[in-house]
Amino acid sequence: MTFPMRAANWTWAYIVRPFSQIMLFVLGSAAVMSLIALVVTFLFRTPASRGATLNIDLFDQLLKQLPDTLVDGITIGFLYAVIALGYTMVYGVLKFINFAHSEIFMVGGVVGFEIMVRLRDGGLLSTFSPILLILLMIIGAMIVSGVLAVVIERFAYRPLRNAPRLVPLISAIGVSLLLQDSVRALEGLGRNQFNLAYPTDSVPFLTKRLPVGPNLTIGVTTIIIVIAAIVMVLGLNYFVNATKIGKGIRAVSQDQVTASLMGIDVNQMIAITFLVGGALGGAAGVLFGLKAGNISPFSGFIPGLKAFTAAVLGGIGNITGALLGGILLGLMEAFFSSLLPFFPSLGTSYTDIFAFAILILILIFRPTGLLGQHVDEKV
Amino acid sequence: MSVLSVPPLPTNARRSGAIPALLAVIVFIAAMFAVLITMDNGLTFAPLWTSLAFPALAISPFLVLRLQVSGKVKAFLVLIILLVLMPVLGIRDNFYFTLATQIGIFAAMALGLNIVVGFAGLLDLGYVAFFAVGAYLWGIFTSQTDNFIKVAGLTAPAWMFYLFLFGAVGVAALAGILLGLPVLRLRGDYLAIVTLGFGEMVRILFKNLDHPINITNGTSGLDGLASPPIPQFVFDATDQAVKAFHLDVTNSQVLTYQIFFYLLVLALCGLAIGVAGRLDNSPIGRAWTAIREDETAALAMGIPLVRMKLLAFAVGASFAGAMGVVFAAKFKSLTPDAFDFNQSIFILAIVIVGGMGSIRGVLLGAIVVSLLNLQILQSLSSVINNLKNQNVVIPVINFAFKDWPNQLAVENYQRFVFGLLLIVIVLFRPAGILPANRRKLELAERMGKEVPPLPPDLADVPPDPSLSQSGDGHAA
Amino acid sequence: MLLEVKGVIKKFGGLTAVQNVEYMQEARTICTIIGPNGAGKTTFFNILTGLYKPDGGTILFGGKNVVGLRPDQINAAGISRTFQNIRLFSSMTVLENIMVGMHSRLRINLVDTILRTPRFNQQEVTVRRKVGEVLDFVALSDKANEISRNLPYGDQRRLEIGRALASDPKLILLDEPTAGMNPQESVEAMALFRRVRDELGITVLLIEHDMRVVMGISDRITVLDYGQKIAEGSPDEVRRQPRVIEAYLGRGSKTDAL
Repeated sequence: MTFPMRAANWTWAYIVRPFSQIMLFVLGSAAVMSLIALVVTFLFRTPASRGATLNIDLFDQLLKQLPDTLVDGITIGFLYAVIALGYTMVYGVLKFINFAHSEIFMVGGVVGFEIMVRLRDGGLLSTFSPILLILLMIIGAMIVSGVLAVVIERFAYRPLRNAPRLVPLISAIGVSLLLQDSVRALEGLGRNQFNLAYPTDSVPFLTKRLPVGPNLTIGVTTIIIVIAAIVMVLGLNYFVNATKIGKGIRAVSQDQVTASLMGIDVNQMIAITFLVGGALGGAAGVLFGLKAGNISPFSGFIPGLKAFTAAVLGGIGNITGALLGGILLGLMEAFFSSLLPFFPSLGTSYTDIFAFAILILILIFRPTGLLGQHVDEKV
Repeated sequence: MSVLSVPPLPTNARRSGAIPALLAVIVFIAAMFAVLITMDNGLTFAPLWTSLAFPALAISPFLVLRLQVSGKVKAFLVLIILLVLMPVLGIRDNFYFTLATQIGIFAAMALGLNIVVGFAGLLDLGYVAFFAVGAYLWGIFTSQTDNFIKVAGLTAPAWMFYLFLFGAVGVAALAGILLGLPVLRLRGDYLAIVTLGFGEMVRILFKNLDHPINITNGTSGLDGLASPPIPQFVFDATDQAVKAFHLDVTNSQVLTYQIFFYLLVLALCGLAIGVAGRLDNSPIGRAWTAIREDETAALAMGIPLVRMKLLAFAVGASFAGAMGVVFAAKFKSLTPDAFDFNQSIFILAIVIVGGMGSIRGVLLGAIVVSLLNLQILQSLSSVINNLKNQNVVIPVINFAFKDWPNQLAVENYQRFVFGLLLIVIVLFRPAGILPANRRKLELAERMGKEVPPLPPDLADVPPDPSLSQSGDGHAA
Repeated sequence: MLLEVKGVIKKFGGLTAVQNVEYMQEARTICTIIGPNGAGKTTFFNILTGLYKPDGGTILFGGKNVVGLRPDQINAAGISRTFQNIRLFSSMTVLENIMVGMHSRLRINLVDTILRTPRFNQQEVTVRRKVGEVLDFVALSDKANEISRNLPYGDQRRLEIGRALASDPKLILLDEPTAGMNPQESVEAMALFRRVRDELGITVLLIEHDMRVVMGISDRITVLDYGQKIAEGSPDEVRRQPRVIEAYLGRGSKTDAL
């Protein structure tokens, strides 16, 4: 796409086309997965001869829950996707897994909480339209998380850029631990507790549920999450593909030396990558807080790991891959946990095992992920 | 050359500097010991002094080893510290026995992880899983909680402890191989994340294996585990000794067990050091170093990568498995959440802070990190509490310790301290406190370069996609 | 015929690095592969040593097909190599580097190692003796305990060759062994190669750019260009072939610079 582009072209290229691609993919994978799940449970649909534990009709249950499962899966899928974007961008540029990203995500959620609670305590909640409130929370979280990510990169990663990969990973683990306890200390001091519940009931708009079909209501928060996620993905897509900085980042991710020879300030590009990745993580933190209803210093660990799984599933280093992987993982998880209650012998945390199992399977059988960007290794 | 020895200086230096140094070290040891023995626990800063003196005493064997005197003298001194001074401290206050035993368990585990991370260069973030396997092995078969073994009346008798110790080595090694097989082709950071995932999976699995059959009793864990039997005459002997020396000991049976576990852990540590040292100084150890340095060259020299990596994994895992059994038998109860990612990081921190690949370093790391975790932070907390209770105020800034917020109870901030420690060590001393010389060189070489490595030209060996499917071969 | 390579093809995406190459080498010879940069020479070596799997063709070594074997298995079968950009284990000593080279000839047993059985100790003695022999052969005995990274360049090259010799190979592949050497060092290197062939009875296959070395030492020369064999024969035969001259110097040049 050369510049200058006519406005119509531009809208098409960076808004309409990617949006329809996303929609197509989301609906398509939802449809395919539903089909697979239905077929599988249909095949297992046997009379009580199967034994006491399986005299429930899985197929029936699945069908009944299908709309809820899909909504849930898509929502959490988008959430994973936005978090995954942070992992994948940093990996694309530095070939480094930013282990602390899960805590950057968590910090964003905490910032969102703080904004919401302080406004509520100041009696100001009613003066803001809910949308503005959400925007405020997200932007606040993005700023804090983005800056935090840049600072971390500058002091904990940059000095280690030439070290064997083990070393910055250890540093990242250290940062992760540090952040967890720091937030714990801050919140503990300020609020005497660190399990922070999002006061969403104080904003009646957010507790509404919209009826969408015969048996289905979708929460407003769900809609907000999905819209916010799509906006961010479209925004990132534009940023990376159409702006000069984005071009610079892409150049650095392909070949640092040549990029610097072409006059690109590699350090600056890397810092910007962390800024953007961190900001996205922070925003995801707010969305997570809205969905889960609470956030704690340790909330980042498992979602972070799952989002990383999503990034790898889609093909790490690849932005589209992060989206793909996120949606797919979200849907798979939703289907898995919808069927899980009917196997009382398995506890609910088997959903987490499921995600890890997927991670391990991908890394064994297709380490380059679905969109296989060839992970180069200096052999 | 023994793993723990230091090359001797030329004889002149040896003679002239040796005796004073020896005397200095002996005085130092005696002083630290005296501080600990005579410390009045009522003093405000008592916890601080003891938490400085005990580590100093614990580290003193390292100072002894650096002396330029005969091996016999060094061995004698170290044995005095370990077999006389420590036990005396422990008898006086059995907190020290607990401390020392914990350090020993962690040290042995860290030696195992050191084989995986330090020798073979594989970053394992889920190492605690093997520890859990060993612990639960003993737990499942001897717990008094109603799991299926107990209900079926198959509870193992306590004397089988040694059998289980041996068996855990095998079971953990097997677990290591099973875990390693699918993932050893992966490159560094991927391997790390996958092992993390495995570690979490094992923990969650143990947390959930309480239905349909109750194997692990789920979140509540297993209780009432057996300790290995000690013959009555030993109990009697302890009893008599306590009476004879007028020792202030409430329960001599407990004391006997404490001494037993201390000695057991010491012995197992010694074994671990021996095995690790012998592996290091052998074709296996050299192969691991080669793999760590340059996998492709190692391959070309005939080293079967997967087999050697699996070996490292299995041996490392077996150390953890064995110590798991000991841990379970000593603490007599298990919960799955005790075996979480933080534990893996803890052991990893020992290896990294102490010095990857260096046996001495890992031992020192175990002492430093364990004491940081178990003693120093607690002591700091105690001191602050004491200062609080005595209404002490810092003059210049007018800060009253009374105002030290409860939320900032220092002892709870282990994570913070660890995080900081990891970052600082990795930034400023990445090879660790007592690195193996080799590792120092490797890191210096790689980190000294400011220019990023040049892109490979065709003459280098670019990766071949068609090889990633074949069973062995270089990392994908 | 020690080495018989037939119809070997290797593609990297759209690029065919090695195209239908046929190559034969008799035992106890020194042969050289030459060709402009990017001709596929190192790729050919990588295929021979199992680092790459060819897309087609067979490689018979001592009558046995080695295609599909892992590099360590090929080393055990008797093919050893050095690398174009020296790949020593740089933080290990000279001694240790060569000991590692012996790995495929050793019996690696966990129990023996931990218990230090007589079998293990006996093997360690054998290892040290063999390493001593190799060190003498490449004239590095006085530097046995030096860290290999600290060695001067020429010594590092010799060490790499020594490491490759440690496994008692039947065929040794040397990838540009005299790169960066001055004329004196090159002459010494040539003498070393001859000794490898004559005293140790090992077959040598080199990739080389230095024409003095190539012409001075080769029993046969094979010329590759764009992944294909364009000429083969004795040094005299090859230096005269127009295609070879063209490959190196471009069309329209007539010169006997070779």
